[in-house]
Amino acid sequence: MFMHDDPLLNLRRGGGGRAWIRKDPALTASVSILWALIGLFILFPLVSLLAGVFFVKGRFTVENLLEILSTRHQLIAFWNSLWLAFLVGTIGTILGFLFAFTACRTRVPSWLVSVIDGVVLLPLISPPFTTAIGMIFSFGARGLITYHVLGIKGATVYGLWSTLFSEVLTYFPIAYLALKPMLNGIDSNIERMALSLGAGRLRVFRTVTLPLCIPGLANSFLLLFAASLADFATPLILAGNAFPVLPTQAYLQITGMFDIRGGAVISFALLVPSLLVFFLQRYWVSRRVYVTITGKGAGQLAFDSVSAPVAWLLGALCLFVTFTIFYLYALLLFGSMVKALGANNAFTLNHYKVIFTEGAKAIRDTLIIAAFSMPLGGLYGVLVGYLTAKKSFPGRLSMEIASMLNYALPGTIVGIAYLMAFNAPPIELAGTALIIVALYVFRYGATGIRTTVATLSQIDRSIEEASESLGASSSFTFRKITMPLIAPAFFSSLSVVFIRSMTAISATIFLVSINWTLITVRILENITELSLGPAAAFSVFIVVVVFAVMGVINAAMRRFKSPGAAR
Amino acid sequence: MKRRNALVFFLTLTFLAIGLMSAVAQTVNVYSIWPENWARPMFEEFEKATGIKVNFVRFSSGEALARVIAEKGNPRIDVLFGGPVETFAAGIAEGVFEPYKPPVFDKLEPRFRQKDGYWVAIADDPLCFMTNNQFLKENKLQPPSSWEDLLNPAYKNMIQMADARTSGTAVTRIFSILEVNGRNEDKAFAYMKKLRPNVQLYTKSGGGGTLPVGLGQAGAGIFFIVDALDTKAKGYDVAISFPREGIGSAAEAIALIKGAKNPGLGKKLIDWATSAEMQKYFAKYKINFLPANPDVTPEASLAAVLKNAKLFPIDADYAGANRERIVNRWVAEILNP
Repeated sequence: MFMHDDPLLNLRRGGGGRAWIRKDPALTASVSILWALIGLFILFPLVSLLAGVFFVKGRFTVENLLEILSTRHQLIAFWNSLWLAFLVGTIGTILGFLFAFTACRTRVPSWLVSVIDGVVLLPLISPPFTTAIGMIFSFGARGLITYHVLGIKGATVYGLWSTLFSEVLTYFPIAYLALKPMLNGIDSNIERMALSLGAGRLRVFRTVTLPLCIPGLANSFLLLFAASLADFATPLILAGNAFPVLPTQAYLQITGMFDIRGGAVISFALLVPSLLVFFLQRYWVSRRVYVTITGKGAGQLAFDSVSAPVAWLLGALCLFVTFTIFYLYALLLFGSMVKALGANNAFTLNHYKVIFTEGAKAIRDTLIIAAFSMPLGGLYGVLVGYLTAKKSFPGRLSMEIASMLNYALPGTIVGIAYLMAFNAPPIELAGTALIIVALYVFRYGATGIRTTVATLSQIDRSIEEASESLGASSSFTFRKITMPLIAPAFFSSLSVVFIRSMTAISATIFLVSINWTLITVRILENITELSLGPAAAFSVFIVVVVFAVMGVINAAMRRFKSPGAAR
Repeated sequence: MKRRNALVFFLTLTFLAIGLMSAVAQTVNVYSIWPENWARPMFEEFEKATGIKVNFVRFSSGEALARVIAEKGNPRIDVLFGGPVETFAAGIAEGVFEPYKPPVFDKLEPRFRQKDGYWVAIADDPLCFMTNNQFLKENKLQPPSSWEDLLNPAYKNMIQMADARTSGTAVTRIFSILEVNGRNEDKAFAYMKKLRPNVQLYTKSGGGGTLPVGLGQAGAGIFFIVDALDTKAKGYDVAISFPREGIGSAAEAIALIKGAKNPGLGKKLIDWATSAEMQKYFAKYKINFLPANPDVTPEASLAAVLKNAKLFPIDADYAGANRERIVNRWVAEILNP
């Protein structure tokens, strides 16, 4: 998963102009359809949002924005958001690097690496606030850890530090997954040479390993920065009133006061930093990734970058973090199986009964929506990726950028934009499943674009050219030649879209209705009431379903791969 | 390729089947402000009694009202169910309700009905103080018996209560403070400002603070009695008390939505909810609301808790007319000083 962030992938630019000139009807048709869809589900909502922010009764004005920017507490929330995102980016990247480095550059037993990989996967496949549930129990005046274990009195769980802690644990696995292949890609022979030339281990690390990693670290910092900037659920539960952040403020403005315009204006303030981060990550950092792939594998020996005691220390640190995550999830599982966590720890399966009876509608709705979003999102990503990487047509670069917008922007913005665009005629979709499916397809389907582009750039174009020069149409070539080759990209984007459809909340919380509700929204609702048991049971359910579906997708991918020489 | 076609086909079928199934039964659409665990048994009993299915989703009162207002042009629901009466009073001003007087209308106390029938009460819900017993013991405190007690520095950063932007509990609390201070807004806000340092968190939902107080993560809170007694019933060691100056009690109401797609079914639900039919189930399902219908007697243990409490009703007209202004002032002066 999250292969779209894989820093090893490079975008191949250019491509011949012949395809378009030949006036390929299939190409013309698919480009037109895609533009229509992108126009409707990406550009139109954003234009609606901008119109809502800048036009009052048909007249252009910046007053709305100035009012927010001059309100002291909104300004504080704005800087809080950036500060939190900066801290999550920094600490998460360091932690991710620590894990990747330990896994790749010390001789950790491979079973231990598998255990760690399994555990750090958990935050990626559960709703973003699941660690927050564990936090509420563990820290605070009567927290399991702060009070009962450490004996600290009067601790407060709400604020910057707990939000930061929870977000770092939730998002650092992204950094780990992005940095691990990069570290593996650095030929350890270079480090070995430096060592044998007489440099100390620390010097090798400082002057060889680390510089090679810097673009990857910058990349991962920006990814985490964006993830934190987009997260509204964790701060809603943990930040408290002393540390307001913008996405939460926008949410409360809309749900509490139903001031959509006000919410839009607040969230608009996030637009600039998130777009900046996106373009930095996308067009600057990701092109400066140094890879030193040589003969691959054959000449590489395991290399210890650090001495044995340091390796132990690193391993212990990783284990500690892994254990913390494990503890939070074990607490969640425990909470789902006792009557009332903290007051009555008697075993019960009642919460599961509750979610499968009272929560059945949410489960059904979520699964239906995910089942539709998954194939459509996968198809969208592969199609856009294929067209922008392999075909040449007017507006190719604009399509590439436009298709990524919904993904680049924080969910709060996209959700509010959809609400503004589709709440009233001419295109009234509010209250339908379609609006949620569309959001998932055009937001998370975008992750498949880069995976596809990356996969395609490794395939020699002459294979397709051979097919086309033998008289096959481009749709036939796509079906028979290209499709088998990009199947892995398709499957991996299926996983991403499915995982996100099951776990996302920041955008869709604005779009649920009497007809269509989502498990994640129910969990949040449960947490804010007294029903912690069902919230925990729902979360466990999501983790199990996602694991199962990922297993099926991986199995399908293996079957697809084995017959051909697709790799 | 074929396999994927088959998959899409199958999914479309399921989708259609589910769509059809839900269209067959008679269904009334409802936003419930009552939490799901109380609303659901009521609606299930309603379905048993009438055969009409209730399709509902739960929102806190601010959120529900906001949605109803936003959907005014094209209402998606028939009935707004539960929630403190000031929410409904604010809704009248927005023109979202259709007046309807159920058969029981004339039997109700005047404060349990809007004179033109824009809303009717289905229950009464007093606020109370809830404190964690161990917290009290450690700080050598008695359960608070006055609003002034909450200003005690021992409570510093240990009180949780609801956020007025989303929660009706919070609005009822603020209007209680206004009432206690003779509706002198400046005096009431001065009190809330003094209370602010003791507040650990303003929660999104009215009952949001009950669990932290139950666990001892917070020491005290101001909640509806129904939430507080539920916390106690779950086994958390908490004390319930009332201020001697008095505390507000909000009628919980029901209303028909203007332009509802199924007004007939909506009226049936209102008839049933305002009658003894529904309110006698409060006791059975251990929902600690006071019945609004005079034919139903409050459950004994609830009556015992409330015996010495000084309660006053929240004036719906005054609260409805001033709600938005007061909430905005609260946000500006108390939440984000």
